[in-house]
Amino acid sequence: MNRGNPKKVLIILGCVCLLLAFLPVFTDSRYFMHLVIMTCVNIMLGLSFSMLFSTGLITMGAAGFWGIGAYTSALLVLKAGLSFWIALPLAALMTALVAFVVGIVIVRAPGVAFIIQTMVVNMILVQVFGHFEFFGGWAGLLDIPAPNPIGPITFTSKTANYYLILVLLLVNILGFYALYTSRVGRAWSAIRLNARLAETLSVDIFRYRLAAFMISAAGAGLAGSFYAHYFQTLEPNMFNVFKSIYVQIYSILGGLNFYILGPVIGAAIITFVPELLRVGKEIEPIMTGTVLIFLVIFLPGGILSLPERIGFFRNGPMASSPEKVPVETEKKEGAP
Amino acid sequence: MKPLLETRKLTRFFGGLAAVNEVDLQVAESEILGLIGPNGAGKSTFFNLVSGFHPVTRGTIAFQGRDITGMKAHEVANLGIGRAFQAATLFMQLSVFDNVFNGFHRHYREPVWKAFLHSASVRREEQRARQKVKEIIDFMGLTDYADRKAQNLPHGHQKILGVCIAMATQPKLLLLDEPFTGMHPEETAVMMKVVGKIRDSGVTVVIVEHNMDAVMRLCDRIAVLNQGRKIAEGPPGEIARNPEVIEAYLGSDEEEP
Ligand SMILES: Nc1ncnc2c1ncn2[C@@H]1O[C@H](COP(=O)(O)OP(=O)(O)OP(=O)(O)O)[C@@H](O)[C@H]1O
Ligand SMILES: [Mg+2]
Repeated sequence: MNRGNPKKVLIILGCVCLLLAFLPVFTDSRYFMHLVIMTCVNIMLGLSFSMLFSTGLITMGAAGFWGIGAYTSALLVLKAGLSFWIALPLAALMTALVAFVVGIVIVRAPGVAFIIQTMVVNMILVQVFGHFEFFGGWAGLLDIPAPNPIGPITFTSKTANYYLILVLLLVNILGFYALYTSRVGRAWSAIRLNARLAETLSVDIFRYRLAAFMISAAGAGLAGSFYAHYFQTLEPNMFNVFKSIYVQIYSILGGLNFYILGPVIGAAIITFVPELLRVGKEIEPIMTGTVLIFLVIFLPGGILSLPERIGFFRNGPMASSPEKVPVETEKKEGAP
Repeated sequence: MKPLLETRKLTRFFGGLAAVNEVDLQVAESEILGLIGPNGAGKSTFFNLVSGFHPVTRGTIAFQGRDITGMKAHEVANLGIGRAFQAATLFMQLSVFDNVFNGFHRHYREPVWKAFLHSASVRREEQRARQKVKEIIDFMGLTDYADRKAQNLPHGHQKILGVCIAMATQPKLLLLDEPFTGMHPEETAVMMKVVGKIRDSGVTVVIVEHNMDAVMRLCDRIAVLNQGRKIAEGPPGEIARNPEVIEAYLGSDEEEP
């Protein structure tokens, strides 16, 4: 990934944030604001998925780590009486810690094995949340308090929560952008594009992937902590594998090669469009699934690959080659 | 003088098959050593052992007098053993420049937390790296291709790029697996020049190759493997006349690729 121009990126990001900051002025629909807030949460989950994808790993467990953040934060506040503002970073830390322990075991296995293992981890987590009374059982946790007020600012309104998640999202994006444009991000994509070659360039695949696993989990944990205190109710099944699949869809729909913009676009569409079309909750997954299947067949690079694709059609096949999205294939040195 | 690389009784089994069998080999500093042998002789496997891609069944490998047996691939690379693969192994979706830039990983010093600040020191480091990458690309004669995607290069240039990426790690020892295979005569000539220049820059090179003409002209010394065993070693002229070597090549019913 090219470094691009961080100054330019910062300016654009600043402008977008300024625009978004005025959003509550234009609407007084609480429902609309709820959707915007959920979009931000979902973007953070998509970012987490995409970070692992940038190292050539596909996770089916993003929602599980989101859940760890949410439960950690809720329990720290409910049972230990901590302030939300302390629970928030602790939740991210805890999520990264769990990812470290789990990652040491599963990150070594690439490809399908990793997909299945993350899925199983996700299922186990849901069972743990549901089985133990400590986590509130299958009924979940209720009456989680909203973030503690800072001086005169309270976090009970949609608007206040919106600004909070906007800041978290911004921090998330800035941090990930910094990583992607650094030596670390370059090593990650080297692993994704050709693991064997990356190794001969002295990239320690295991360490770099473990780091990505932990950092991406921390991002999801942060989103989880916010979500717990925003939604104020937690239930194990909010964090099941089904949600993890949705997270994948955000990134795939937006474009897998776009580690930041992809989840932003994808999560916004998946969160908003079914609601705006007033699709019933029962048939919405069928619709989303169908769209995804067609997408993978006809536009594997996602929405953000469209400009390049259009150029491809207009100027003939030599103009540009549509980028394939390679999932790394760790081939052993073949026989001669 | 101590050899740069030394293997002792190096052995690797695949099931019951000894792909590399008790091979003792020494590579002296700044020589070009040719490693030849019929198909399936164990040449690529030998490289895989030295570069840490396959575990060693028996025997030892020492690099600069240090035992590196059992080290992982990235650790071996970090000690200064670079390699180019038999089949062009590149970052196909990236430009030639970015391919070589990735090769620079080992020497790129940049703390993560500084990346976003884009401070003067980060910029300087990046500038330094870019300059170095450009130098390597020029050195290898790929200047005109710097912006092309690796997948769009002709085969010969892909092979040169493979060597170029390995050179970006600034290795002390470079392992080249069949660098001339599938090349036109002109490309072969270019590659010959490239390898010569690499040796002149002080890098030790081990070449696995079937193109006898190239091997004979380039190498200071040649070692011959057959069915996993080293059957001969010596200067090119001697090897060409060695009856056991001729027998090994004639005896194998496989054609050269
Ligand atoms: N990963 C592997 N698993 C099982 N057997 C292998 C493996 N790699 C190589 N072999 C076997 O080991 C032997 C040596 O193979 P190797 O690739 O080292 O030969 P080579 O000398 O490089 O041949 P070529 O000139 O055709 O490249 C062959 O018989 C091959 O089938
Ligand atoms: Mg071979």
